[in-house]
Amino acid sequence: MSEIKVKLKTEIERLFSEDAVDVVIAFKKENAPLRPQPAFFKSVDELDNLEYNSLCQNNLANYLTRYPHDTLIGIVVRGCESRSVNALVVEKQHPRENLYLIGIPCQGIIDIKKIIRKTGEEVSDFSEDEDQVSVTVKGQKVTFTREELLHDSCLRCVHPNPINADVLLSDPLPEGDPAIARQAVEEFEAMDKDERYAWFQHEAERCIRCYACRESCPMCYCTECFVDHATPRWTESNISPAGTQAWHIIRAFHQAGRCTSCGACERACPMDIKMTYLTDKLNEDMQKVYQFEVGMDDETQPPFASFNLDDKKRFVV
Amino acid sequence: MMYILEKKKLDQTLKSWSEKYEVFAPQKVEGFSQFLPVEASGELALTDPHNTRYPPKALFMPQSEALLRYNRRLDRLEEVNTPPKPRLIFGIRPCDAAAVTLLDTVFNTEDNKDPFWAKRRDETILIGMGCVEPPQTCFCTTVGYGPFNTAGLDALVTELDDIFAVEVLSEKAQALFVDFPVASEDQQNQAQAVQTHAEESMAPAFDTTDLKQRLDLIFESDYWAEIADSCLGCGVCTFLCPTCFCFDIVDEVQRNERVRNWDTCMFRIYSQEASGHNPRPTRKERTRQRLMHKYSYWLGHIDKIGCTGCGRCVRYCPVGLDIRAMLRTASTLESERVNAG
Amino acid sequence: MDTRPKIALFQCQWCLYSEPDQHWVDNELPPSIHLVKLSCTGRINPLHILNAVQGGADGIMISGCLPEKCHFKEGNLSALCQHDEFLNLLDYIGYERDRIRFVWLDLQDRGRIQRELADFESEISKLGKAKNLATRINEPSRGQHV
Repeated sequence: MSEIKVKLKTEIERLFSEDAVDVVIAFKKENAPLRPQPAFFKSVDELDNLEYNSLCQNNLANYLTRYPHDTLIGIVVRGCESRSVNALVVEKQHPRENLYLIGIPCQGIIDIKKIIRKTGEEVSDFSEDEDQVSVTVKGQKVTFTREELLHDSCLRCVHPNPINADVLLSDPLPEGDPAIARQAVEEFEAMDKDERYAWFQHEAERCIRCYACRESCPMCYCTECFVDHATPRWTESNISPAGTQAWHIIRAFHQAGRCTSCGACERACPMDIKMTYLTDKLNEDMQKVYQFEVGMDDETQPPFASFNLDDKKRFVV
Repeated sequence: MMYILEKKKLDQTLKSWSEKYEVFAPQKVEGFSQFLPVEASGELALTDPHNTRYPPKALFMPQSEALLRYNRRLDRLEEVNTPPKPRLIFGIRPCDAAAVTLLDTVFNTEDNKDPFWAKRRDETILIGMGCVEPPQTCFCTTVGYGPFNTAGLDALVTELDDIFAVEVLSEKAQALFVDFPVASEDQQNQAQAVQTHAEESMAPAFDTTDLKQRLDLIFESDYWAEIADSCLGCGVCTFLCPTCFCFDIVDEVQRNERVRNWDTCMFRIYSQEASGHNPRPTRKERTRQRLMHKYSYWLGHIDKIGCTGCGRCVRYCPVGLDIRAMLRTASTLESERVNAG
Repeated sequence: MDTRPKIALFQCQWCLYSEPDQHWVDNELPPSIHLVKLSCTGRINPLHILNAVQGGADGIMISGCLPEKCHFKEGNLSALCQHDEFLNLLDYIGYERDRIRFVWLDLQDRGRIQRELADFESEISKLGKAKNLATRINEPSRGQHV
């Protein structure tokens, strides 16, 4: 990891020296323990704080929609992030020629909550290599395997390698097995309908409508979200079961053909709610029905953004 | 007066109190704790190092509360405010209890009594659990409170090895504990030692001298734009904060109710006016607002910091923003940037 | 079921070609069927369907013109791609797909709307009242948190 950080610093320095970027979006060292923060470097003088490790849990593509289209943006992208960037380019949220993608093949993001659940919160140090992760808890070093701590979405990751990046800072990693994600969806579908509902209800009822999931998602960039509408009043904004269920159903549905399964939503959620089981199902359907996988290039339109008379019309009797 | 409650008698005690009160205690469901009625099937989480995830301010101001109901069939308004059964909250942390007293200055003053808040407040006994090993994310001592502070509490519990030492602070609590064994001097000293040790283990997180003046000086600083860069503008910090109290009242026409929901100044539409004008148009103004409100405007209103150092905003911010670090930086800015400009 | 199932009928204003049918739908629908008249079924958004579900609908019927005969050319088709997937999602979380039915009416289909509604009502009665998915009617305005 530390070699990658060195290469990253060199690359960013090069970009600034050649005046190729106005801002570089990456991560910087944490204030709170175990928490690198998204950073927006505007000059080489700010790079002392640069950070890159498996605790960098946010999807940086989220920040692209904040900038005017003529801003030259350098951005660190891992696998899912690069696909989010491609998806945003397809949706015309930033011109590709004004983006410089610094690609880093990803070994997976560590779920901080998994560490805390195992060790408690008093973690003061962190180190990692390819297979193991170590933290210091109350002076004692505790070691885990990476697999024990990876975020659930990363355990199902198919595309760890950045797609369409301008440079790769390390060697590509083997692609993941799509059958793993498909299996998770099939296992859920195999449950009885009342069991599935009970699961969904159990997850949705904890929701406090903080919208951390929405704000951390690169594809949720609507200036006015459907929950903020008063006329028409699509869904209620309170935390009744109907309100929270509507929020989860519709947010997942609005991601159909757009979600890259990065899991940033689940990592942001303060109530540890699961959401990717919904979007994973929609992504499977997108593959099955429309042979579409989001973010694999920056040109193909997502199925629901465009309409073609040749589209499969299985709903018409 | 200090009494002793043996740990092995806890369940039985909570059950006996349940006859007269609706008893709430922190319980672990889904791997984190929140206040639930003791009949809920969660595992009691009284002695976790940190407070519950979801703040107990919800016990006084629920996140969503129907204020009025309209009965279309009978064409009339119906009140929703049902008198709550007397409640006992066992195991609230001193930061959260102090926060309730701060919110009293908003919802429960002589001139301005919110009937929904006041009714719940009057009917509730708060028994606090002090924090024996405060986590590194807590900073109650910095803002004028402490791991065994008694503000807002009817009684305060100190955990010792196999007993709880309960210091009774009000008449309401006295009635509950009157038949319990009284603590010996040795036990009292042990409790005192635990309390002192916990307090001393907490280093100051930021300097609070002249905090209001220093923050007011840097109101126009670009530093706020820097923080706003990473900030997502979600509601995590405000909804989990025990002292945040902003709310939104909505007429949910489809369910014939007027509902009050927690609101957050971090959302763009929070300050959006009907004309389309927004006095806090960008994230810079909104993140600045949060810090200024808690650490400057509250001081201006009632000379108290609008924060009790519970640490939830630090632990659960999705991008790892740390309010303590922001205040430390903001304090040094005054001398550097403002004087330079 | 003791009472008739609650059905929401989203209907495009063009699909009923006969006067008697038009009159029946506008004036003689039983009170258990709630009519929403639209300019085209393409206007329907999954949010409308969810709103009906959360309003207590045990069944939702969407009636419109045959895809090639849409007054707005292809209006209904693109929206319906989305609805197909939306129904998949609802089914995935336990709200039976059969509770939502699309009916395409043609010029020759006089009297068909009444038959379809009657058939739909009996199918929904067999499925029973919709239990899954919380509604605005059976749950109060508060969360499970205290």
